[in-house]
Amino acid sequence: MTSASVILELRGIRKDFGALAAVDGIDLAIAEGEFFTIVGPSGSGKTTLLRMLAGMEQPSSGDILLRGRRINDLPANRRPTCMVFQSLALFPHRTVGENIEFSLKIRGVSKVERRQRAHGLMRLLRLPEELYGKNVTKCSGGERQRVALARALAYDPEILFFDEPLSAIDYKLRKTLEKELKDIHRETGKTFVYITHSLEEAMVMSDRIGVMRQGRLVQVGTPNEIYVTPNNKFVSEFIGDVNVFPVEVAGPGRLRSSAIAGEFTAPKLPSGFSKGHLVIRPEYLRFLADPSGAENSLKGRLYNEYALGSRFQYQVRVGDQVFVVEKLRQQAYGGRLDDDVVIGWDARDSILVTD
Amino acid sequence: MARRGSWAIPGPGPRAALPLVLLLLVGFAAPLLAILDYSFMPPRTFSLTGEPTLENYVTIFQSTSYLSFLWSLALATVTVAVLALTCYPISYGLVRVFGRWATVLTLLFTIPLFVSENVRLYGWVLFFIKNGVLLGALKTYLGIEFDSWLFTSSATVFGMIYVYLPFMLFPMTLGIAMVPNETRDAAFDLGASRWQVFREVELPLSMPGIVIGFLLTFVLAVGAIAEAKVLGGQAIIPVTHDIEIAFTYAQNWPLGAALSVLLMLVVGALVLLVLRRFDLDTILGRR
Amino acid sequence: MNPARRRRAVHALITAWTLAVVVFIYLPGATLALASLTSTRYFGFPIVKWGLDWWRKTFNSIEIHQLLEVSVKIAFIVMVVSVAIAFFGALAFARYDWRGRSIYQKLVLLPIFFPQSVLGLALLLWFNTLGLDLSWKTAVFAHLIWVVPVATLVISIQVYSFDPTLEEAAFDLGATRWQVLREVTLPVLLPGIVSGCLFSFLLSWGNFPLSLFTTGADSTVPEYLYAKMVVGYTPGVPVLGTVSTIGAVVILLGGYGLILMLRRSRDRRGTL
Repeated sequence: MTSASVILELRGIRKDFGALAAVDGIDLAIAEGEFFTIVGPSGSGKTTLLRMLAGMEQPSSGDILLRGRRINDLPANRRPTCMVFQSLALFPHRTVGENIEFSLKIRGVSKVERRQRAHGLMRLLRLPEELYGKNVTKCSGGERQRVALARALAYDPEILFFDEPLSAIDYKLRKTLEKELKDIHRETGKTFVYITHSLEEAMVMSDRIGVMRQGRLVQVGTPNEIYVTPNNKFVSEFIGDVNVFPVEVAGPGRLRSSAIAGEFTAPKLPSGFSKGHLVIRPEYLRFLADPSGAENSLKGRLYNEYALGSRFQYQVRVGDQVFVVEKLRQQAYGGRLDDDVVIGWDARDSILVTD
Repeated sequence: MARRGSWAIPGPGPRAALPLVLLLLVGFAAPLLAILDYSFMPPRTFSLTGEPTLENYVTIFQSTSYLSFLWSLALATVTVAVLALTCYPISYGLVRVFGRWATVLTLLFTIPLFVSENVRLYGWVLFFIKNGVLLGALKTYLGIEFDSWLFTSSATVFGMIYVYLPFMLFPMTLGIAMVPNETRDAAFDLGASRWQVFREVELPLSMPGIVIGFLLTFVLAVGAIAEAKVLGGQAIIPVTHDIEIAFTYAQNWPLGAALSVLLMLVVGALVLLVLRRFDLDTILGRR
Repeated sequence: MNPARRRRAVHALITAWTLAVVVFIYLPGATLALASLTSTRYFGFPIVKWGLDWWRKTFNSIEIHQLLEVSVKIAFIVMVVSVAIAFFGALAFARYDWRGRSIYQKLVLLPIFFPQSVLGLALLLWFNTLGLDLSWKTAVFAHLIWVVPVATLVISIQVYSFDPTLEEAAFDLGATRWQVLREVTLPVLLPGIVSGCLFSFLLSWGNFPLSLFTTGADSTVPEYLYAKMVVGYTPGVPVLGTVSTIGAVVILLGGYGLILMLRRSRDRRGTL
């Protein structure tokens, strides 16, 4: 990324609430037109970070630069950025049209032009025209989401911020809106900065993802990088069901675990690695009829199985350790519960991470 | 993360509070301090700058004034007890039984708040007086004659119960509304009897509202002045009456001030003690 | 008895009790109205001679006109000032997080939890210390001390249900603080403000203990009635009492209707 394409840059951003550092030193550069998502569990400081970027909180230290210009002291109403709130914050005393036109009215844009812009945005967001005069409180959940986005777009911001707007929506509608949001991102070409606690949601939409934990960014990368090469245990576990157990180097190419008996073949060791965790995604584990040819194998007992739609998930107990195995429906394992089973994996499908 | 969100520019809270705080400093705190000061002035003086003395307080404890003090506290206690029993079923009904009629009933209970208490009490005088609505009707239609019940101590209590009913009813209703339906259902479901649900779940959870109702009616009843005058004749002399006499006919402001200070101490201690225990945001905001 | 029947029986009892208390509440008002319709000098029941004579006499009395004028004047000024102060007071009470808020909340409650007659006397003494002459103006100030906290609580209840991100959203969309107040905060809180107006006006209108000690030579309706009750009953007392009751009912219902209309018009715009 060349510096010319950077739209928003954060340098050592901190936010302290008393003795607690909600945001603990963040450096980040977001590119023009990028869909950047910050993911983290609740309390990780992501909302505080976003509120600082939008101008609703002041950083305790550090700089926020918009196209190279420091905007720390610019209040929210004078920043060329706009936020879509978690609660959506639609004005309940106004119609859909009046909500969308709010920022235009504030700027003194003429009534005719306002109406024109609002209708254009409603078409872009596939909002039916007859909603224009309807009170926002009478709109459905999906309509309200689109109105909130239209209102923000009407401001014509250089960056749009999203504070988990989809978190209170049921699964099916959320999946639809995630894709729609990505379409809108393509059509408008604007920079989107999105925060969510769901890495799955982030994966669907984002160009790049930053994973946040305890006020720090622990990894920044494309969805693929985050999924394939998480650089620590937290990130690897954050994505969903995953098999993780502590390991240390036992010899050249060999690993040993305190949790499971036996030795394992190691994948390529990160430089300087001596002790950490081995991560195996559930889809990389196999049930083995004949363990002799496998690089790594473990004997266990099939404890339970769960139907996940297109896939099946199995819980296998190896001593005290629980392993999760996933298979596509077509390749479902035919055994019965409480069968003795052997599971195995190839070393190249496992990842070593530090804590 | 800020619970209520804050602005980039600091201090909107204190700024919004400023006019009200100033008003209360000038119109509430200052007069109370003035009264406190007066209570240490020599009797029958009208200046704040005399030689401080405890004479007024000594006078109070040597005279019968402390009797009226006790009367006031006793009357207020009786009022609170009767109102608690009267209002609980109504509050319960407003929250759980009456449905959309609750709004109409609430309105009906609100209206009297806005009519001066002496006007309403005078209605009772005309109702109970000899040849009034009650006794007149009994005499004419049934031929029975009674002496009027007016101008007795029980008439005074009756008046207080009548006047302060809304002040018990509304906080109580607010309190009962704070108990989630699901919590009651859960208690029933876990095998509790009606009485157990009431004692173990409903009563403790609605306590903040109930206690505030108790406090409000008690304080107002201690400060009541019209009831004893209009309905009670001079059967009872409440402390407020003594205070008023000291300020007006007797022209002994320092004595009146000392009585007021004692009353304020009782009331203030009670209010602060109770309010300290409650989070107003939960009671009013139901968040 | 089965549970459903028992439940119904309990509900019937509660309803009966509530209706009985409603009757109890309105009995003196009804008695007053009845008494106002007598033509005789003294009230007796059953009424011997019905008539509107005393209504006529009361309404033709210049003294009564002056009383009503003073009462309305005080109540109106109290309403305007108290709602202006209480609106911001309520924002500080329920909207903003700030150091000292919980002490402030208790400070606001103190005048409500305070014997009004003592407050009236304390103010009398204070005005005297300041060398102010007592008149309807000092009464306005006295009413404010009690009415503003009540209005603050009434408006606060609405503020609690106000979503503060609405203000942030408007601010974020480029509005100045003044525009945020005018375009978002005020309109959304309007029903609470209307209730605040109603409470302020009516509480001042019906107040007796504060007026008693602070009006000086001026007199309000409740004070006049009190004086007449203690010495020199005339049937003008029930007339004026009934008028002040009916006035409160009309204003309350009118205000309540206004709130409903505001809600309705907000909702109806959806169908256009």
